[in-house]
Amino acid sequence: MAWNIGANDVANSMAASVGSKVISIKGAIIAAGLCEFAGAVLVGSHVTDTVRKGIVSPEALVCGTGAGEVNAAALLAIGMTSALLAAAIWLNIATWMGMPVSTTHSIVGAVAGFGIVAAGFSCVNWGKMGQIVASWFISPVAGGILAFILFKLINKCILGRERPARAALKGAPLIVFIVTVVVALATLYKGLKHIIQGIEWLTGSWAVVIAIGLGVMCAGFSAVFIRRALADKTRLSIPEQLEHVERIFAPIVIATSCSVAFAHGANDVANAIGPLAAVVHILTCGTIVMKVAVPFWVLALGGIGIVLGLATFGYRVMATVGEKITQLTPSRGVAANIAAAITVLACTRLKLPVSTTHTLVGAILGIGIARGLGAVNKDVTKSIFSSWFITVPAAALIAVILFLLGKVFLLSTFIEIIQSAAAG
Amino acid sequence: MNIIGELFGKSPFGSLLQHTKKVYECVKLVKPLMQAVLEEDYKQVRELQDRVSKLEYEADVVKHEIRSNLPRRFFLPVNRDELDNFLKCEDKIADGVEDFAVVLMIRETKIHPDLKEGFLDYVNQIVKVSELLMNAAEEMVNLAETSFSGAEAESVLDSIRGLGEEEWKADRMEREIARTIYSLEAQLDPITIIFYEKILVTLGRIANEAENTGDLLRQMIVKG
Repeated sequence: MAWNIGANDVANSMAASVGSKVISIKGAIIAAGLCEFAGAVLVGSHVTDTVRKGIVSPEALVCGTGAGEVNAAALLAIGMTSALLAAAIWLNIATWMGMPVSTTHSIVGAVAGFGIVAAGFSCVNWGKMGQIVASWFISPVAGGILAFILFKLINKCILGRERPARAALKGAPLIVFIVTVVVALATLYKGLKHIIQGIEWLTGSWAVVIAIGLGVMCAGFSAVFIRRALADKTRLSIPEQLEHVERIFAPIVIATSCSVAFAHGANDVANAIGPLAAVVHILTCGTIVMKVAVPFWVLALGGIGIVLGLATFGYRVMATVGEKITQLTPSRGVAANIAAAITVLACTRLKLPVSTTHTLVGAILGIGIARGLGAVNKDVTKSIFSSWFITVPAAALIAVILFLLGKVFLLSTFIEIIQSAAAG
Repeated sequence: MNIIGELFGKSPFGSLLQHTKKVYECVKLVKPLMQAVLEEDYKQVRELQDRVSKLEYEADVVKHEIRSNLPRRFFLPVNRDELDNFLKCEDKIADGVEDFAVVLMIRETKIHPDLKEGFLDYVNQIVKVSELLMNAAEEMVNLAETSFSGAEAESVLDSIRGLGEEEWKADRMEREIARTIYSLEAQLDPITIIFYEKILVTLGRIANEAENTGDLLRQMIVKG
């Protein structure tokens, strides 16, 4: 699953950088790999919690099946494994059929699917499901609105000025500040507890202070470089100044693409690792109660899987996407990336699994509406809707089949393992 | 399969710039054509007409390519109809130059010495009007970069503000030359007069279309 995520999805995070040709594909893969891994291990635990116990509540499984706790634990383990397999199978089927598919939607559909069959409708946490599905609608729209506003601002305050280079001297460092603060805040605020013990002081209001401090530092650094590049260009003709401003935006595009990759890793690692974390917990502790945080090594495993997928298959996907996305010049890419990163990170901290790809699509459409792009295919929204309506039921169906098979053949095996784990 | 790849169509503005450049190439041949006629170098006239014809065809090819790459499902930063009208009108400039060249080519018309200066001045004015428009239209890609707003758009709008007045001056010059032609009618044979008229009409059309194109460019920017 993680490999699949790396192979297909990660290309989209770096798409804006590769498309505007500010970074080589190899460079993009290295940068994306690092950031995805960082996002997965630093911020990945929030959504992982949702997938492993937020959709199908383990306690409800006990009540629903009326079985003993050990039985219920076994069923949960089988179910989660089936969900993982089902999502992976559906991903490969859909890819083979040439359909766009989202790893997030597949896994959520699969988990909900087995939940309904395992213990009836009430075992699934419909409140959470409702939130999740709502976030699937809201994240592209939020991405679009944010990108619209951001691009309008960039256009009004920098590109549209009489002397764009001069405006960029102040505007570009401000953008760097915002990006740094958002990423730092998403990582630090009430986070990181599972990695480093005893740093509660870091995660409270100190987190805000540190985030702002980091932001000022990065903005300051960038201001130095920007000044060097642009200070003598403020008297050229407008088109020439615009060219220089776009060049200044190039490193910012890379930085913001890395933020998107970071956000993607944080949100999507759960798709691969969430069910696994549940199964690991059950088979090693023998209980169904999951108050313990997701172990670090599980997150790291997911991160490595994603990076491997990226390194092997991602090259080709990135090349293809990069060719088609050339309209996304740096100024547009920055707006799209920031909008996507903020939205996905916010959803991640709210423990909601969302599709980074769809959020990016929303952001790009938002820029199109802001008159920033030459020709945007608005029919893509139909693609998105149809992929939801097909993916969720399809993945759920496969999960159900696998679960029923597993229940028949593997129940006793799992029960044995759990009993020995609980005893030992 | 990748959904982000499907999001983008081919931006028409690069091709629009290409079309503008081809039409500008045509416009640049107007003065050489007139000079060749004034010097009675009819071989040069034929050569130039050949070049104009080719350039006009190449502009047509670009025009068709733009149209075929813009199906309804694409969302553009400007009104699609206004873009289409702009393209059509700009193309008519090239058509006008071709018509002018053909008129000069089909008959070796001699320009009466008393009319030479008038014709030359008129051609200069026509070229002035057209160049005004062409220089503005060449900013197409920069306009797209700034989303058709801001300082760049203002500067383009400024530069085409004078188009109407310059075209009006051209119209007045045309009438003056016509009056001079008819004051000399005793010395001219009817067919030559017909051809003088054809020359004036085709030249006037070039300036007219340039002015109309300027209007449409303004609409593209302002109404978006």
